[in-house]
Amino acid sequence: MKVFLDLGWFFKERKKQYLFGILVLMIVAFLQLIPPKIVGLVVDAVNEGTMTMTFLGKWLGILALAAVGMYILRYYWRVMIFGSSIFLGRQLRERLFHHFTRMSPSFYQKKRVGDLMAHATNDLSAVQQTAGAGVLTLVDSVTTGGFVIAAMAITISWKLTLIALIPLPLMAILTSYYGKLLHQRFRYAQESFSSLNDKAQESISGVKVIKTFGQEKEDTKDFVQLSQDVVDKNIRVAKVDALFDPTISLIVGICFFLSIVFGTRFILAGDMSIGDLFAFTSYLGLLVWPMLAFGWLFNIVERGRASYDRINNILDEKVDIDDKEGALDQKPEGHLQFNVEEFKFPEDDRVALHDVHFTLNRGETLGIVGKTGSGKTVILKLLLREFEGYKGKIEYGEHAIDTYKKKRLREAIGYVPQDHFLFSTTVGGNIAFANANATMEQIYDAAKLAYIHEDILQFTDGYNTVVGERGVSLSGGQKQRISIARALMMEPELLILDDSLSAVDARTEEAILEALKEKRTDETTIITSHRLSAIQHAHQIIVMDDGTIVEKGSHEELMKLKGTYYEMYQLQQLESLVEKGGEQ
Amino acid sequence: MEEKQPQLTGKDQWNILKRLLTYLMPHKKIIAIALFLLVLTVIGDILGPYLIKTFMDDYLTPRNFPTGPLVGLALGYIFIQVGNIVVSYFQLLKFQEIALKIIQQMRIDLFSKVHKLGMRYFDKTPAGSIVSRVTNDTEAIKDMFVSVLVGFIQSGLLVIGVYIAMFILNVKLALICTLLLPILFVIISSYRKYSSVVYQDLRERLSQLNAKLAESLQGMSIIQAFRQEDRLQDEFNTINDSHWNAGKRNIKLDSLLLRPAIDLVYALAIILVLSYFGITSLSNTIEVGVIYVFVTYIDRFFEPINQVMQRLSIFQQAIVASSRVFKLLDEEDLAPSQNNEEHAKIEQGKIEFQNITFSYDGKTDVLKNISFTAEPGQTVALVGHTGSGKSSIINLLMRFYEFEHGDIKVDGHSIKDFETEEIRDKVGLVLQDPFLFYGDIESNIRLHKSDMTDEEVIAAAEFVQANNFIEKLPNTYKQKVTERGSTFSSGQRQLVAFARTIATNPKILVLDEATANIDTETEVAIQNSLEKMRKGRTTIAIAHRLSTIQDAELILVLHHGEIVERGTHQQLLKEKGLYHKMYLLQNSVVEEIA
Repeated sequence: MKVFLDLGWFFKERKKQYLFGILVLMIVAFLQLIPPKIVGLVVDAVNEGTMTMTFLGKWLGILALAAVGMYILRYYWRVMIFGSSIFLGRQLRERLFHHFTRMSPSFYQKKRVGDLMAHATNDLSAVQQTAGAGVLTLVDSVTTGGFVIAAMAITISWKLTLIALIPLPLMAILTSYYGKLLHQRFRYAQESFSSLNDKAQESISGVKVIKTFGQEKEDTKDFVQLSQDVVDKNIRVAKVDALFDPTISLIVGICFFLSIVFGTRFILAGDMSIGDLFAFTSYLGLLVWPMLAFGWLFNIVERGRASYDRINNILDEKVDIDDKEGALDQKPEGHLQFNVEEFKFPEDDRVALHDVHFTLNRGETLGIVGKTGSGKTVILKLLLREFEGYKGKIEYGEHAIDTYKKKRLREAIGYVPQDHFLFSTTVGGNIAFANANATMEQIYDAAKLAYIHEDILQFTDGYNTVVGERGVSLSGGQKQRISIARALMMEPELLILDDSLSAVDARTEEAILEALKEKRTDETTIITSHRLSAIQHAHQIIVMDDGTIVEKGSHEELMKLKGTYYEMYQLQQLESLVEKGGEQ
Repeated sequence: MEEKQPQLTGKDQWNILKRLLTYLMPHKKIIAIALFLLVLTVIGDILGPYLIKTFMDDYLTPRNFPTGPLVGLALGYIFIQVGNIVVSYFQLLKFQEIALKIIQQMRIDLFSKVHKLGMRYFDKTPAGSIVSRVTNDTEAIKDMFVSVLVGFIQSGLLVIGVYIAMFILNVKLALICTLLLPILFVIISSYRKYSSVVYQDLRERLSQLNAKLAESLQGMSIIQAFRQEDRLQDEFNTINDSHWNAGKRNIKLDSLLLRPAIDLVYALAIILVLSYFGITSLSNTIEVGVIYVFVTYIDRFFEPINQVMQRLSIFQQAIVASSRVFKLLDEEDLAPSQNNEEHAKIEQGKIEFQNITFSYDGKTDVLKNISFTAEPGQTVALVGHTGSGKSSIINLLMRFYEFEHGDIKVDGHSIKDFETEEIRDKVGLVLQDPFLFYGDIESNIRLHKSDMTDEEVIAAAEFVQANNFIEKLPNTYKQKVTERGSTFSSGQRQLVAFARTIATNPKILVLDEATANIDTETEVAIQNSLEKMRKGRTTIAIAHRLSTIQDAELILVLHHGEIVERGTHQQLLKEKGLYHKMYLLQNSVVEEIA
């Protein structure tokens, strides 16, 4: 029940709705007592011959009023309580999303998207259930149960009530015992279902091997066996599951039998009427639900607590890279000084970067080359403040980058990442990602600069073509150029191309680089690349290996050096020759 | 992630339901038994209150208590109750069993169907979505069979039973009670009508919401780099709000038309019964027992209706799931068919490609007019840049894809004439990505060939020198292999895959060399094994490392789907063409070309 306390903030927030809902629920519980009573009264009147039209009209009128009242009130408590519970879902979802937008990449390295999604869906709905069905079952089982028993004891016969209720606790005990059994067997059934799932997954991923060895039949036989296991395990579940209804019938039947037998005695003794017996048996029927609800309650609450804890664990994760107190509220400009002695990724002992020093003047281009894992991208990640905790200092303009507000720093940087991620919106929307209010002209200009304008015009809906699963499928090169256009839209002080021309053919690459050079005379550019052609023209080139700079200089200087850069250059000349099929 | 919901018309839904019901046919007998049990429980439900009525009218009201008949009545009542409980337990169990069996059959059908599909289908369909057809969608259908269909039959039977009993007891009142049916019908059908809109809308918005969330999580670094956190939050909030509003609409609809409404009709029924008896009692005598029976019947009658209404959404989902399942079952992208000529046998292993032109999509040709011959025992190596068409040649030889132009002949017969088994038995393929199955090393070499002895497994492993590493494993051949063999290095996986192929002793060997990084020690083992395997077998090999195929009888250099150079290693080097350049590149002989 602790989860109700944990959710106290929410109940307070929705105090009105909950108080009103609970009150209405209690009134309904009370109104429910009326119909059986009226049946009893009418039966007595018929039996004793005292029936009159006014009597009948009056009581049936009350019954009708109560029924209509209950209809209206039932509608309202649902809207209040269930409505609040989905409001909680909405609140938590919003909070989680907000939290996700603030977390740095190191958070996303630790958590998998699938897990985060699970928290935002399954766990959230379990908590939502607690605030809805949980509250309902708690209130309803207590009030309906209490009211009905009180009505039986006070208005009919407390002695008969005691006798008739003797077997009821047995129902609570048995159903909760079944619940436990069921839980366990259900887990086995789930396990066997998930091995079936794994089997299907494996067979489909390995379909080529299976085809190669002509083992379709044998593999199917395997699958049949697993599916039989699923059936067997589920039948074990069904064996317990099917016990619920008969058990409830049995116990209600016993209660009922006791009421009739002892009720008859009380009638004969003149303690109650036949109508009372009618009412009494109807009340017994009303008691079944609160008994079951009570069993459910524990289930719901237990799941809700575990889920709420998991959600809170996420929300409690600290934002690890945040603005410092009194951070500069200005967009950085000027030259860039990068001096990092050592950097390790969080929770990783290996040195990712060491002794990297360079200065980049405003308006210049820096080329970074090196093998995969040599530290090229690490430099960029530090510049973007995706990670902190390095030894050294990175300055942009007059100040260290961590003294700016994070948003202002990023305002200056147009970043084109390696994995060109596009959103499932229109092409135009993707390009205008950083500036949703951009004019079409601005978007066209950026697209032309990135040499993607012509391609986009070829799409069925031009700039309104939707990208992604449900839209047009783009080639890697097109995606890269769109993400370049997206960065250019910002007209950034510092443009970073992180190996973003790899899927573009040589001629387009050249054209893009040329256009950038022409357009961005006063702004700074950093390009990392596997292909040397992309950085050949840079004012300054650094060659990275094993997390540090091994060579540094202009293309001509590095060629003269006849070192790593020179070798890479020669090999790539040859490679491009092979790609072209040997033609010069 | 939620998949897009197909739009289904009423007629589609009806057809799907009809097709679903055909799955019941094989279980006719058990269903008959279960239905019989169900009828028994309904009869019990109806007889029980009748006995109470007899007690009330014949004994309680006249205050007449003869021991004999009363004990009889009590025993009769107890017998019916206990009998009912026992029968209903078995009835519930039987129906669950049937549902499980049906779903099992459906899964097996799906799975066998998947194995009949051609590679083309797997190219265009993500594995995840095929898997969820086989498991999750069928699970949704199971829920329908278990909770909706049975509930539906049960309430139907109960309604009929109750009305029969009412007509026997009192025709006039029974007639009055039939007034309830159209009211219930209107409520149920309007609920179905509105909920299909409102509920679908809710699901649609939920899937939008989850899609937005998933996308934002995946693209978070971009969102942050471009400072669009606030905008995305706003967009998310908008969807979140519309989902919330859809949720509210759903709750309102449920509250208006589900339980509260049915309870209201229930009260109306009670009012009808009471007024009837109340009014008639003014002129005639009424036995109270009859009132009791009617009130109780009405109670019984409404419970299953409530349950079925609550579960209508399950029904809706099951129909959608079934439409997807049936679509897969009806898929026509089958694996290439064979002419199955019995006399066509692979004995020598001579392979001829004759003017093969091939395209995956019918537009761009990935192979153009390919011809070559591999004599028995020879090795033909395919080299070329990514996308040059090497893998396509293998795909055609393995019959993964159908081709139209040209022919592939093996020992003089068209590849299309052999029985599939003959090709699978005699042609051994080693894939670039050696896929290992969950199980152990032995089961991965043996696969499903139960007639293979342990000695043969070990011999195969020894032949490819996989035994060296296998014997060092704590459980040797019984060492567990986890999902995709992730605990083994790619070289080790490659060796197991070799052993698997060699164990079948194929006449023709098709090799797609691994590109993955392999440690030098294993690399040597692999090269030695490859050499041994190729001996006495016709081999078609895709080579990424030119060093491995220098002894090949024929090397084909592919570029854009065409054979641009052909010859032996020495001949090709002399030509100083593309092969020569590739060779230099791989040996990093920078100086020679500079």
